[in-house]
Amino acid sequence: MAAVKYIPREKLPEWLKALAAQSRVLVPVEEGGSVVFRQYDPARAPVFGSDATAPPKGAVFPACQELFSYAYGKEGEDNAPTLKLDPKTEAQPTVVFGSKPCGARGFLIFDRVYMGKKFPDPYYIAAREATVFVTMACATVENTCFCHWVGSGPADAAGSDVLLTPVEGGYTVEAVSEKGAKFLDNPALTDGAAKAAEAEAVKKASRDALGEAPDIASSPAALLSLFDDMEFWRDQSDKCVSCGACTYLCPTCYCFSITDEGTGTAGRRMRSWDACMHFQFTLEASGHNPRPTKAHRLKNRVGHKFSYYPTLHDGLIACCGCGRCVKSCPVSVDIREIVQNAVAKAKG
Amino acid sequence: MSRLDALKTRIKEALPGLECVIGWQKGYDALHNTPLFIRGEADVDKLEWGALNVHNPAVYLPSFAGKKVGVVVKGCDSRSVVELLQEKLIDRDNVVIFSAGCDGVVDIAKVRAKLAAAGLNAGNAEKVAVDGKTVTVTAAGKAVSMPMAEVAADKCLRCQFPNAVLADAFVGDPAPQVQAAPAADADLAALDAMSVPERMAFWRYHMDRCIRCYACRNACPMCVCRDHCIAQSREPHWLSQEDSVTEKLMFQVVHAMHLAGRCTECGECQRACPMDIPVLALKKHLNRTIHDLFDYQAGVDVAAIPPLLQFKLEEDNIKERSW
Amino acid sequence: MPVLTGKELRIVGFLCNWCSYGGADTAGVGRFNQPTDLRIIRVPCSGRIDPLFIAKTLINGADGVLVSGCHPRDCHYAEGNFYARRRLEVLKRFLPILGIDPARFDYTWVSASEGQRWQKVVTVFTEQIHALGPATRHENVSPELLAKVASAIQGGNRVAA
Repeated sequence: MAAVKYIPREKLPEWLKALAAQSRVLVPVEEGGSVVFRQYDPARAPVFGSDATAPPKGAVFPACQELFSYAYGKEGEDNAPTLKLDPKTEAQPTVVFGSKPCGARGFLIFDRVYMGKKFPDPYYIAAREATVFVTMACATVENTCFCHWVGSGPADAAGSDVLLTPVEGGYTVEAVSEKGAKFLDNPALTDGAAKAAEAEAVKKASRDALGEAPDIASSPAALLSLFDDMEFWRDQSDKCVSCGACTYLCPTCYCFSITDEGTGTAGRRMRSWDACMHFQFTLEASGHNPRPTKAHRLKNRVGHKFSYYPTLHDGLIACCGCGRCVKSCPVSVDIREIVQNAVAKAKG
Repeated sequence: MSRLDALKTRIKEALPGLECVIGWQKGYDALHNTPLFIRGEADVDKLEWGALNVHNPAVYLPSFAGKKVGVVVKGCDSRSVVELLQEKLIDRDNVVIFSAGCDGVVDIAKVRAKLAAAGLNAGNAEKVAVDGKTVTVTAAGKAVSMPMAEVAADKCLRCQFPNAVLADAFVGDPAPQVQAAPAADADLAALDAMSVPERMAFWRYHMDRCIRCYACRNACPMCVCRDHCIAQSREPHWLSQEDSVTEKLMFQVVHAMHLAGRCTECGECQRACPMDIPVLALKKHLNRTIHDLFDYQAGVDVAAIPPLLQFKLEEDNIKERSW
Repeated sequence: MPVLTGKELRIVGFLCNWCSYGGADTAGVGRFNQPTDLRIIRVPCSGRIDPLFIAKTLINGADGVLVSGCHPRDCHYAEGNFYARRRLEVLKRFLPILGIDPARFDYTWVSASEGQRWQKVVTVFTEQIHALGPATRHENVSPELLAKVASAIQGGNRVAA
């Protein structure tokens, strides 16, 4: 891999402007007290210090995406009915700049679902391939961070294309992927060999700040063994209000719904985020709902991430440990606590 | 005996006859408490009483229909319980209300902003101490003191009901009445000062980042439709799945209009919003309108009929247009 | 239609079946001259009108909404319009906080025999909407106004790097 480079903090806009000349650049900015990813605007200073309120999930997997538009019509003298379909698979070249590494790592969980051999998703693949992640290693960690529980860490570059690490006066810059290496060709970036040791120290310090992770290796079996223990799930979900904040803000939650939104004879087929915490998620046309209570639904969310997905995907936990579900929950439901309770309960 | 200990004693006495008692306990870090469901005597000792009990536990009551439950409430939460009783959405015989005087709760968003101003991250909070009129938060080894008046929830700054309006077990000394602080309605005052087109821009700006999680709705104690909200119905098709500002704002209008004359302004909608969208301002404005038109306040009198469920042949304050 | 493009605005009327819809019919039968901007939706009673019908219509870009029902004490269902009056007044006062000019919405009472009153109401209301011009939607707020309002809001609630 290429040598470590360095960019002083004041040179960042120069680099960002150069990137923005070639592609859509999304950076975290403050909006009304929250931090969200928006198109880079030199007049708005990006916020790199704390993790964004919403992850950059929408850069590749938008909250709502048009799959195609349709229009019924008539043609010819005999008024033969016609149907015009106009699919929209093209994706815009995009650089997501300044996400925490966990925000990019979330897509590794998506990839196994949408880039698999059986059901490749052309919309996702196009957007994924057009997107580059320039992430920033964490200099500090928060109370809600638990990336080390799920086999990751505050400087885990898996899923990133370029990794920045904050050091005195600026950032070290490392290319992680070949895709990312092409983005380092900018005069604002200089040789960073002298800063490499400092960067390593920053990475180690934030990893150390997280402390020891508890052993949750038995979570897939533990959660499965508790599948029918509805009293356990009632206790875990008592305070849940069944909103979708945890799923919509999760960098790894990939479920969607498809609806046709149209009027008259024309409209659009939309794919939008769905949340397993909502009653409608599993509501069947007959009116039957296999997950009628919030206890059933929370069981699914935790089970999917820490049991069903890892069982299907070589033990990979479908969680990047960013902690948004804990931090943004209106009633502070803590997924870490639920997983630990399940592991402890299964042990007996 | 402290208010907390007195509450625990009363809850322990009543617990055998109840499905559970809903209150608060310590959460995942020093800055966050979280709702507690007391189902056994051992749980009673987890109970907390104080400035971090930000949630409104009345939101859970309708889901226990047919079961007798206890609920610990602050003064403001008790208004939601009363409103639920007014609308016969819960049964008076099936709810036991525990309460004590409340000295106000913090607004975590304000604490977060104070810490940010001091160069600290609320995500590093280690310790919180509330001492009379001061809140001291220690984060990353540094203590920051903030006056309660500057970090209290807006509703606390002009609280009319620091003591429950209805309680079966009210313990300890009542809390003193507060003098309404001018800062309490800064959000509404700011909107009032704007022109109508500026307000359109205001909502365009804020609603853009809404993620449509419906936390505002689900945290609202008066949103009793729960799993059958018109926002997620396909037939009738009130809202589409498109993530446009129009659809997002329309939901806020649905929420506000369905609360007209029912909202007790507990502020849970805004507190629950993970994206910090100031949705409470809409309800504050509506409550002011209801008060001006009908001289009515929701959730203070179990026998009162909500204003939109009744009428007068000659309305006192509605001046109809002559053409 | 093409001749009227740009001249007509989009006004939606919700009319009670028993009085105002009949009043509009009376005006038509009497061949009273009326502006043609209004699109009428017939409802069983003004009490059937969910204020959200009006809010959705305006938020989705209508230039004006007019509601008309039976005069108070004349409701076909005895009291539907009394409830409606309260709801509609609350809605009218709610619109400005959303950024919608309350003059884009009005409600009134017209009986089935009041063809002339209907003509007057439609004419006055249509003129009022034309004076306001086409409505702006929240999505189409000008970038300049958005930037002005945004700069007043930007808080500084987070730790910057």
